[in-house]
Amino acid sequence: MVEYWNSIIWPMLEGAQMTVLLFFIAIIISIPLGFLLTLAVKSSFKPLSWLAQTYIIVMRGTPLLLQLLLICFGLPMLPIVGEYLVFDRFVAACIGFILNYAAYFAEIFRGGLLAIDKGQYEAAQVLGLSKLQTTTRVILPQMFRVALPAVSNESITLIKDTALLYAVAVPELLHFAQTAVNRDFTIVPYFIAGVIYLIMTLILSLFFKWLERRYKFE
Amino acid sequence: MALIEVTGLKKSFGTNEVLKQISFSMNKNEVVAIIGPSGSGKSTLLRSLVNLEQIDGGSVQIDNDFLVKDGVYAKPAEIKEVTSKMGMVFQHFNLFPHLTVKQNLEMAPSLRKTESASEIEKRSKDLLQKVGLSEKANAYPSNLSGGQKQRVAIARALMLNPDILLFDEPTSALDPELTGEVLKVMKDLAEESMTMIVVTHEMGFAREVADRVVFMDGGEIIESNNPSEFFSNPQHDRTKLFLQKNLK
Repeated sequence: MVEYWNSIIWPMLEGAQMTVLLFFIAIIISIPLGFLLTLAVKSSFKPLSWLAQTYIIVMRGTPLLLQLLLICFGLPMLPIVGEYLVFDRFVAACIGFILNYAAYFAEIFRGGLLAIDKGQYEAAQVLGLSKLQTTTRVILPQMFRVALPAVSNESITLIKDTALLYAVAVPELLHFAQTAVNRDFTIVPYFIAGVIYLIMTLILSLFFKWLERRYKFE
Repeated sequence: MALIEVTGLKKSFGTNEVLKQISFSMNKNEVVAIIGPSGSGKSTLLRSLVNLEQIDGGSVQIDNDFLVKDGVYAKPAEIKEVTSKMGMVFQHFNLFPHLTVKQNLEMAPSLRKTESASEIEKRSKDLLQKVGLSEKANAYPSNLSGGQKQRVAIARALMLNPDILLFDEPTSALDPELTGEVLKVMKDLAEESMTMIVVTHEMGFAREVADRVVFMDGGEIIESNNPSEFFSNPQHDRTKLFLQKNLK
């Protein structure tokens, strides 16, 4: 029994490592990228703003799975440039997640900006702050604070979305669970996978709860 | 020479003309109360002085420097220089919610880098004491009452040593029992000869503290006089009507 347990749990934990790695890579790059997109949307240079808005519409309006399949299997099929677009599956998946999640984070940050009262800009101006100082000292800290619950939500979704890697054959948590289910004809691995996902999302939501308390400004 | 000199100021929002050829001047150490019905343009006039509203015509001169000359604005650097002589206190306080009281006071001066950190700290301490909030230095604005927030906002404006302090309905967002503590601070400032323009609905404050009361209606200055004359002997029908409604 213990032996069987070991034979399924270790591969799954290894798969979970892949999940966690993808999560961190995606979150660390897509949050700043999302913020740049927000700035692009708000830009007074109209073509840039339109481009960013179109990007967000496309990335939010099509399934992440479709985007992943396109990057992993579609791009290499392109004539001429295709052969240069063959990525390692994991790298391709990271690119897909980053591009997709950046669009969501951009919308979250835009919402955060909308929540800031115009009196904050006025007070900063009257106190003689420059545009840059107003942005970095007054607006951004408040924007991130307002956006925190939504960022938390999106991060939890990201953990669960890593299961989409299954579809592009990157050996992550769900992949090993499915392998064990097929091999041993038992549903136990599904439950184990579920528990591992649950532990990861729980840790993440506790972390964000802590962040929210830490930056409560009370 | 007047400290503030406004001539022929015009301002419209779309087709709505909110300020019609306003001319107005005030001297150093003067306290002017601007009163009038809502929509009369009094807040817009005040906001025009610190470049929070873009005016459409006329001139604004502060301490002999033009902010706007015949409808043409000064260069950005000059605008910054001119407006830096004025501090502003808003109806809704506009404190920075992510900073403590002390940080609210010290941020702008420390970004200016004209004083050492210890000088700034000393002045913020003194000013908090002056507005009676020394014990709240490390509190966040969300933990303060409206009256306390407005006193912090006044202290924050004073941190930059303005020559003129502008108040835009400073007590209008407060519960009646909290207006007293804010008016007291403003009265103290007036006694220290601070030059102040106060847009207000507080007739008592206008009568007791102001050197001059300006009555605006429909984008025009209808009447301007010293408080005792203004309240006991208003000249215009519109002033009389307004006072009848607003003085119990």
